[in-house]
Amino acid sequence: MLDSAPAPAPLAIEVRGLKKTFPVRTRGAVPKPGPSDSQAGANPASPPERSPSIPAQQSRRSATVEAVSGIDLDVPHGQVFAFLGPNGAGKTTTLRILTTLLPATSGTAKVAGYDVSTQQDQVRRHIGYVGQLGGTDLDHATGRENLVLAARLYGLRKPEALSRAAELLEGFDLTALADQETSTYSGGQRRRLDVALGMVGQPSVLFLDEPSTGLDPQNRMNLWDQVRRLRAQGTTVFLTTHYLDEADALADDVAIMDHGQIIARGTPAQLKARTGSATLDDVFLTLTGRALRDTDVQEVRS
Amino acid sequence: MTTPDPIHTSGTGTTLPLVGANRSSIGSEPTGSAFTPLQARPDHHPSIFTEAFLLTQRRAKELLREPQWIASGLATPILYLVLFAPLLTNIPTALFGGLSVVQMFVPGMLVLFAFGSGQGIGWTVIHELDTGVIERFRVTPVRRVSLLLGSVIRDGLFFIVCALVVCLVALPFGFVIHPGGLALTLLLLAVLTGTVSATSAAIGLALKNIGALAASIMGMQLPLTLLAGALLPISMGPTWLQVLAHFNPFYYAVEAARDLASGHILTVSVGLGFLVVFAVFAITLTWASRVFQKAVA
Repeated sequence: MLDSAPAPAPLAIEVRGLKKTFPVRTRGAVPKPGPSDSQAGANPASPPERSPSIPAQQSRRSATVEAVSGIDLDVPHGQVFAFLGPNGAGKTTTLRILTTLLPATSGTAKVAGYDVSTQQDQVRRHIGYVGQLGGTDLDHATGRENLVLAARLYGLRKPEALSRAAELLEGFDLTALADQETSTYSGGQRRRLDVALGMVGQPSVLFLDEPSTGLDPQNRMNLWDQVRRLRAQGTTVFLTTHYLDEADALADDVAIMDHGQIIARGTPAQLKARTGSATLDDVFLTLTGRALRDTDVQEVRS
Repeated sequence: MTTPDPIHTSGTGTTLPLVGANRSSIGSEPTGSAFTPLQARPDHHPSIFTEAFLLTQRRAKELLREPQWIASGLATPILYLVLFAPLLTNIPTALFGGLSVVQMFVPGMLVLFAFGSGQGIGWTVIHELDTGVIERFRVTPVRRVSLLLGSVIRDGLFFIVCALVVCLVALPFGFVIHPGGLALTLLLLAVLTGTVSATSAAIGLALKNIGALAASIMGMQLPLTLLAGALLPISMGPTWLQVLAHFNPFYYAVEAARDLASGHILTVSVGLGFLVVFAVFAITLTWASRVFQKAVA
């Protein structure tokens, strides 16, 4: 494969057999996987579960948890792709691997045609990322300064960076606040700046990790409009969400993840038809059940 | 709140100039095959100097907008000068190698101040981990070492400016400025500040925990500065202390700074001081870059 200038990639995101395990430090007694405590992990006596995310290997002092269990995923260019799943399903871990924040344990992933483990720099030049934590610099920096610095670090010269910042401020209804320190912004204003910061580098693939969590309906609608507009302009948007109406309203395609695996994939309409459900909420609960999930899997931040 | 009515937003929301000029298809549905990756993205990548400059500037703004930190930073050496140095006036100056109390005291105090000027960045780094700022930089192509250099350079420059103020305050106490020697002192100790800064940033990033960071920094500060003879020359102490001090890089900085501040530039202490401080800086910066590379990879 040529590494310098690949032909326009057929897929925005291409994931093969992606796996991620984390070491987990436990204190006190380590729970045994089953009644037979002779061999760690594999326990033929236990019923076959679709749950590879319980500790895969245990010793007295450490165990590992498999957050992502060998997933495959294709997202064509220009789609809005929604990644759904209960807390702890492995969504954020997957997203962090795709954005070069975490190395995968095994498997491959390509974003915008570049390998996330061997071509990190190229990947980073083509993606935008808005994490759950936000990312706006809150220490005595204004919204404009945040954007101008980000643009200049992408290589724009000062006048270009200033006009890029002005465009984004205008687009996100932040012009009036542009020169206020960001610590004075409301939650919704800050989130809009977070998203604007993710778009400074004109990404061809934009990752949004639970972008509408904590937003009021107005800001949510505003965000949806931004996503639709990005899509209309050819940007691929990969988002995780717990709001299934959001996926229903925005996404061309949806994948539902549970216990580290993708358990369903299709358009919102297909998924509803397949499970005979009226809403994606019903699809979600039909497929993933009602038991709490984050009791056994823990997504680990690096 | 300036958010428009959501109903109108949905229909006629503000135009979003998200993409570069060559995306002429704004508003139209893209067809899969017609989509070409952006070419409007700048192909000009900033050099490491540009990155370091931009990030130093950001850190400098952060500091200048929080002047209470500058004031409290300056307060420490000045308080030492005013409230501690006079305690030494009755000690025979022969014990200070013939230097006046102030001439002996100011360089050592500047070493203390160098530690103080560099140590704080770890807290900022942890705060930025919590607010997602570091994560945001991590997904951009910015060099990892530039993120480190921004703080190191800012802290070094901050030290130089404040140290000059301290020297001026020391003038009425009898401090004599030897311009060449003082310039070299400030250079040497700015590099020492940078060493502490890189250490603090790397520890903050590695531990991600304010309590653990505080324990590490405080745990280093006292032994390193006491055993450097920052307040009183180590040569006044017993042999075992003098021997032990030779394992402490800060000792060489203090010894060199005392010579330099008195205008003695071509001495063994000065040579050793530069050698040790620059070597430790190089090692620390390499290590801290690795920590950044790994934790921020």
